Amino acid sequence: MRPDVDAYFRELGRTLLEEFMPRLPTAFEQGAAMRYAMLTQAAAEEFNRAAARRVEENGAVRALFVQAIPLVENDGLRERLRSAAATSDRSLLVRDLDDSNGRLRALLIELHAAVEAQTGAAARKLEDTIWAELSASTGRRALSLGRF
Amino acid sequence: MRDLAARLADYLGARIGRPAKVSGLDRIPGGASRETYRFVLEDPSAGARKMILRLDPETSLIETHRRIEFAAIRAFMGTEAPVPDALWIEEDVGPLGGAFFVMAEIEGGETSPMKLTQPPFAAHLAETGRQKWTILGAIARRDPQTNGFAALFAPLREDECWRRELDHWERVLDADELEPQPIQRAAIRWMRRNPPPPAQRLSIVHGDYRTGNLLVAPGGRIIGVLDWEMAHLGDPLEDLAWSVNRVWNFARDERAGGMLPKDEAIAIWERASGLAVDRTALRWWELLASLKGQAIWISAAKEFQTGAARDSMMAIAAWMQTNSQDRVTLDLLGRLGPKGA
Repeated sequence: MRPDVDAYFRELGRTLLEEFMPRLPTAFEQGAAMRYAMLTQAAAEEFNRAAARRVEENGAVRALFVQAIPLVENDGLRERLRSAAATSDRSLLVRDLDDSNGRLRALLIELHAAVEAQTGAAARKLEDTIWAELSASTGRRALSLGRF
Repeated sequence: MRDLAARLADYLGARIGRPAKVSGLDRIPGGASRETYRFVLEDPSAGARKMILRLDPETSLIETHRRIEFAAIRAFMGTEAPVPDALWIEEDVGPLGGAFFVMAEIEGGETSPMKLTQPPFAAHLAETGRQKWTILGAIARRDPQTNGFAALFAPLREDECWRRELDHWERVLDADELEPQPIQRAAIRWMRRNPPPPAQRLSIVHGDYRTGNLLVAPGGRIIGVLDWEMAHLGDPLEDLAWSVNRVWNFARDERAGGMLPKDEAIAIWERASGLAVDRTALRWWELLASLKGQAIWISAAKEFQTGAARDSMMAIAAWMQTNSQDRVTLDLLGRLGPKGA
């Protein structure tokens, strides 16, 4: 699509903020217009990267599972990690990628809790790797809107 | 709106015992769980008075009980914590279609944190900050038995405060998450393994004490503490921790609430409350504040996503805060790496 979708959203957000909002009669309506403008700007930011960041994260979590498999003591969990690590995303549609992401991150929660309960240096190292992935996940999701 | 004004006039006329008129009814921003309106009550005997109506909508960002909010405000009328005069409460949905209460309007103040960084407020920001945490200390000092506030809650011991809040917000996360929350789940496990000491005292907890809920006069004086919709009985460190939650650093720097260095804010609160802050306990409560924030943001996301409330406030709360809140939790746990790493 041309013009680019994110360029259109940015212009829509600017128009709402600079042209429509000042003409609205009440503070309540102006506040709503400002929020819609901010949301539109955020949508512009997300549009271009939406599939890329999801593919990257799903790959990172699967790779983490591969790393965890030999270290996990629980047989059932180890098998599920093996199965999940072998999955792939159904398509590059954002909803399909989100479905994968939801399943992978639910299993990541289980893995994290299990590793916390294990002793030894290898478990601590894996725990650090999980935290590093969780931290990286917030970098992927960051929007200019966010305060921190 | 005209119908609402007429119904409100009928109700208030019955309450004051003479015909009344409502004019200038106008919805204003404010509060996450109620619709807020400004209006003028024209009373032939007492004259015109500016009022605020807080009306329960069909759905809200935070599920709260209006009687608790009303009682909390009344517990602070005439104290160091400036609050509006809370006048009438109605829990019957008949008169206006939802429960509501009416209070006097405090005029001449600003609540928008971003406007506080601009003239004429900006020059007084540090002084406003000092007042902010002095007032919060006064709230911590107030006897929760005042005006029967404590009686609205199940009995609570000092050593039960943390668990009650943690259980509550974990339940909200369980009920409302649209996707897994690995960072908050890890934080919950950490909080259960490392509980804080019992509260030094039971206090009235405002529940949402942040810069955006303060009404500030152009000279920098705080003239109103608003939005008591999440008030409850608990550990006063809960309010302090919420007030220094980094998602409220609207100036996007290290100043808590966009106003003061965090250590200065805490020192002011200690002097005003008469309580010494155990930094380890405060860190626990900051993690709780971050969980609570995240539970609220994901609930907002669910409300919007499911169509229960298609208010832009719900979407902006979720998009603006969810990721930042996770980063706050990581930071508190010493697990936040550089952005993009």
